[in-house]
Amino acid sequence: MAHRREIVVIGAGHNGLVTAALLARAGQKPLVLEARATVGGRAVTEEIAPGFRCSTVLHAAGPLLPKLMRDLELERHGLTWLRPDVRLFAPSLEGKFLCIHDDAERTAADLASFSPRDADGYRAFAATFARMGAALSPLLTTTPPSTEVLSGHDLWSLVRFGRRVRGLGKRDAYRLLRWAPMPVADLVEEWFEHPLLRASIAARGIYASFAGPRSAGTSASVLLQAAMDGHASAPAAFPRGGMGALTSALAAAARRFGAEIRTDARVARIEIKNGAATGVVLASGEEIAARVVVSDADPRHTLLGLVDAAELGPEFVAKMRHYRSRGTAAKLNLALSRLPRFSALGDESALLTGRIHIGRSIDDLERAFDAVKYGELSERPVLDIAIPTALDPSLAPAGAHAMSIHVQFVPYVQSESDRTAQRSAVLKTVVHTLAAYAPDLPDLIVGHQVLLPVDLEDQYGLSGGHLLHGEPALDQLFTFRPLLGCAQYRTPIRGLYLCGSGTHPGGVVSGASGLNASREILKDLRS
Amino acid sequence: MSAEYDVVIVGAGHNGLVAAAYLARAGRRVLVVERRHLIGGASTTEEVYPGFRFSVFSYVVSLLRPEIIRELDLPRHGLEILPLDGTFTPMPNGDYLWRVNDHAKSRREIARHSRLDAEAYDEYGKAMVEMGRFVKPLLAMTPPDPMSRSLRALKDMLALGRRFQRLSPDDKYNQVQLMTMSAVDLLDQWFETDVLKATMAASGVIGTFQGVRSPGTAYVLLHHYMGEIDGVFRSWGLPRGGTGAISDAIAGAAREAGVEIRTEAPTAKILVRQRRATGIVLESGEEIRAKVVASSVDPRLTFFKMVGREHLPADFVDDLAHYKFRGSSGKVNLALDGLPDFRALRGAGPHLRGAISISPSVAYMERAYDDAKYGRFSRRPYIDIVIPSLTDPSVAPAGKHVMSCFVQYAPYHLAEGNWDEQREAFGDTVVETIAEHAPNLKDIILHRQVLTPLDIERMTGLTEGNIFQGELSLEQLFFLRPAPGWANYRTPIKSLYLCGSATHPGGGIMGAPGRNAAMRILTEHG
Repeated sequence: MAHRREIVVIGAGHNGLVTAALLARAGQKPLVLEARATVGGRAVTEEIAPGFRCSTVLHAAGPLLPKLMRDLELERHGLTWLRPDVRLFAPSLEGKFLCIHDDAERTAADLASFSPRDADGYRAFAATFARMGAALSPLLTTTPPSTEVLSGHDLWSLVRFGRRVRGLGKRDAYRLLRWAPMPVADLVEEWFEHPLLRASIAARGIYASFAGPRSAGTSASVLLQAAMDGHASAPAAFPRGGMGALTSALAAAARRFGAEIRTDARVARIEIKNGAATGVVLASGEEIAARVVVSDADPRHTLLGLVDAAELGPEFVAKMRHYRSRGTAAKLNLALSRLPRFSALGDESALLTGRIHIGRSIDDLERAFDAVKYGELSERPVLDIAIPTALDPSLAPAGAHAMSIHVQFVPYVQSESDRTAQRSAVLKTVVHTLAAYAPDLPDLIVGHQVLLPVDLEDQYGLSGGHLLHGEPALDQLFTFRPLLGCAQYRTPIRGLYLCGSGTHPGGVVSGASGLNASREILKDLRS
Repeated sequence: MSAEYDVVIVGAGHNGLVAAAYLARAGRRVLVVERRHLIGGASTTEEVYPGFRFSVFSYVVSLLRPEIIRELDLPRHGLEILPLDGTFTPMPNGDYLWRVNDHAKSRREIARHSRLDAEAYDEYGKAMVEMGRFVKPLLAMTPPDPMSRSLRALKDMLALGRRFQRLSPDDKYNQVQLMTMSAVDLLDQWFETDVLKATMAASGVIGTFQGVRSPGTAYVLLHHYMGEIDGVFRSWGLPRGGTGAISDAIAGAAREAGVEIRTEAPTAKILVRQRRATGIVLESGEEIRAKVVASSVDPRLTFFKMVGREHLPADFVDDLAHYKFRGSSGKVNLALDGLPDFRALRGAGPHLRGAISISPSVAYMERAYDDAKYGRFSRRPYIDIVIPSLTDPSVAPAGKHVMSCFVQYAPYHLAEGNWDEQREAFGDTVVETIAEHAPNLKDIILHRQVLTPLDIERMTGLTEGNIFQGELSLEQLFFLRPAPGWANYRTPIKSLYLCGSATHPGGGIMGAPGRNAAMRILTEHG
């Protein structure tokens, strides 16, 4: 006898949990089914070596929407943020470094020793992106309009958005239009002269993408980042206890509002009758009937993996197959016997509490990308690093540290022999790259974990191993994410919804996709 | 002081001439001044070596607007376009891909490589034609300014939105992809044969500083389905007498309407009084007064050299400073004693009468771009070859031939050295690349003219040698071309207009900027 549920959510990633919590808060009783043994999806804290715990996949939030902190009372459920003064630290090979702080004035003051021109440039840049971010931020929590039927509500939100953009004034509004499709290399070259500063800002534009800084559309990711908290570069927003603490708090909130969460419950199939979702079947064979099925899994896995192709029709299936989600990033997590000593810093370590950027120039970033075009690993990869233990010693044995390294670019390979070779190549290349900045690092490694794109696919269910559930390219954003015609969190199957990062605004851990999906689902349930 | 002319036009390129012809036909007194000894700008035919006449820069025509051909009656003024049939792509393994205008033949040829691709080729063609229908009317319109509060602009924006909304869901999807994706990503969705994708994608990067995998390059694929010679989709042609014949025909129409054209009359300055253009000063010192000045040269020359920053608003100067030229191509013109003999398909067959494309694989194309990104010319470049003398024997002595090689990539800014030092090495690379496919080439070269982007700049005035007067990248198209708020052919200087390829809809021998600008001038100076 099948269980009967009103709402089933597939996947307990952060967006699945946000959706479930918000639905529960509105009086629904969703059941969340998670394939893995722990909740969290890409936002998890796991042991990488005995005694060392690390945010194994993503290591920082985007940040999380403040509204979710409030509405879901996450602080009450144990979530606290560690917000270091420094957002980003970028060392140079010559033993110098630059830092980006939350405070633009402080950043500018630091930059003055690098380039007085860039110090002034940064002030203007930061102010501009703060203004643009503020104008764009309502878009994050807006359901993209349909191009088929524009509802009165769609039209109203478009008009309101248009007025916000106009409110920026002609100068900024034009800039916004011009920058959105532009290569991020051109954007930073318009503002700055120092190669390292250019590279540090541009890195955000290519994060987890199949794109180099000279690829068109990469500025859009920077603008999207600015919409999150008014900064062009990603925040050092670390939950105490690692990213798993964030999703644990979300799960606790969801449960308190009345959601049920089951782990080790892998969904094998979504059941469909007469074009409408009727429930799910687990890998164990268990059937769970439901009126509404919400998937936090990526669009490709949901629509090509869990739904019978016959239900969607060949044209839709073809389009979904063309949705680009081939991962280009790997994770290397290191267990270190102590904090590495960066030549640029000496014994000073306070600046290692934020994100660390490795990548010297636009050309460096672009060359790293060139490799993956031909299916090769970058010789000198671009790294985005966090050392969560620098602020949160509880994650490792006393005096020891965990280092989480996001590595680009690593091509997707499948065969067992390729994996083995690639795993050791990633370890070797990254350690070699880092040793140029922190020479003692190789001697400090007491354990490591490599997650290749294919591992991210196998272990975390990310199609193609894509960390963002699909390329953040111009044709896969906003009204086109994941596909034109199903960017409103609905799918061609009645009662089947998407709530993951493969929907607008997608990307980093903000919870916005989950928030928007829950709103649309409630709208349908009430109508 | 009264003006001598109603309109003076700087530059006798095809767009300047088109604008002049339309203005004169509407009764205006028009003077065109040209720096060089001959008209045409980048569409000229020149006898570079005795008996050998080359389309020195641009070499084929497809996009010339049919309404311009009709309204200016260009065939009566000598324009005759001969068909350029097909594209032959030799491969290093000895095979080739040879697509021709005859669809059934191309289909059979593609089936030789992949049956699936042959089927997809039909579907692809149909989809492209549909997309072309949507885009074509945009070419003739003045882009509306999204920030304008005028009713007119609002109406135009809404009309555009409506047209898009009326497309079928599939067409919308295709349109969005076409506007934003890379040529290779788009073609990957349709085809599996690498050489087919490579050679099709090549057309998406001509004249741009982008690779076949760069987002935004898919759009140019459409141009191949928008060519309108004789109203037939997908035809490219060679003007009889070279591309200079196009300029001559337009000039003929212009002169007939009363336009005066002065060559060897380089413009030094555009006269500005109280933020209004009042005429020009030639380098000779001669002043020419006019009610309206229209510039068909690129915005950097127009504003920074001829107008002067001091007359311009700071924001506009800033925008122009960010306007990207980035010339990326060169040209090698060869005078030949015979015909090249391609290893992949021997003899002087009809495959030599179309375009010959050295674009054997996607990786080859992409690597060619990678070289340019770091400031050197491609070690193995993409080359688009035509041999016009096969179709139009008048351009070469009997039994001899002219071969035009468009070469990419050749970045204007070199990381090391300069173009004057590297010109011949660049020419050698081009010849060697072709000789790998046609080994007899080296033995039949009588003369070789190598044009680097620096040479293109010196000869035509095109800044950084960009053949389109500025990159055709997304942020420099439509209402952003050449600067946001100034895509309507007007400028911050009253009575000064732009009418060249740096305005919407951009480069190629299309004539649309010249015509659109003329219409704008006539509306505002009625």
